[in-house]
Amino acid sequence: MSVRIEVIAAPGCGKCAAAQGELRAVAISLLGEDNVFWREIDVMEELDYAVSLGVLSMPAIAINGELTFSALPPPDQFRAALIRLAPH
Amino acid sequence: MYTIGKVAMLAGVSTDTLRYYEKEHLIRPASKTAAGYRLYNDEAMRRIRFIKHAQQCGFTLSDIRELLTLKQADGACCEDVRSLAIEKKLRITHKLLALQAMSHALDDLIKSCSGGKAVTADCPILAALENSLAEAAR
Repeated sequence: MSVRIEVIAAPGCGKCAAAQGELRAVAISLLGEDNVFWREIDVMEELDYAVSLGVLSMPAIAINGELTFSALPPPDQFRAALIRLAPH
Repeated sequence: MYTIGKVAMLAGVSTDTLRYYEKEHLIRPASKTAAGYRLYNDEAMRRIRFIKHAQQCGFTLSDIRELLTLKQADGACCEDVRSLAIEKKLRITHKLLALQAMSHALDDLIKSCSGGKAVTADCPILAALENSLAEAAR
């Protein structure tokens, strides 16, 4: 199962970069590297796309094209959201 | 030092607005006269201009309070302010799209009706609105 994870943020936020790295590691450990399509989006470069997702605050996370988090979640919440995607 | 009336005139706002800014903790008079009249200094004037410019960019008073707090916070950096500005732009863009959708919906309604003296019971605009209400209720 391939999962598209998009982080919509304004580049330059040091604390966000560290938290994003942690979330990416969670996704890879849960789904496997080949199944994670991870994209970091500069909100100012893709503003229309961010708006189409419904992003109003940053950093936001969309999973498979759905806005799932309007701020970076704790790793356990992120893991839970990914587990819910898995086929039963 | 400036009286409230003088500040209001220089800044192009009403004295009520200045009292409201004070109530919202955005500005405060530097001192008061013996009779209790507010007196403002140049710093207050700068703040009022800052507030006005920020409002012109779409920031609410609550946003402006946050901006002023960031301005004075030791740990805050330019990136924090930029993020606020980007989030404001996102909200404005959302509103613009919603307004465009409303405008297109109105175009469709206007096209459906040629006007004239027909009774309102036959008005296509009212009928279309009636139908969309009925559809929404289903």
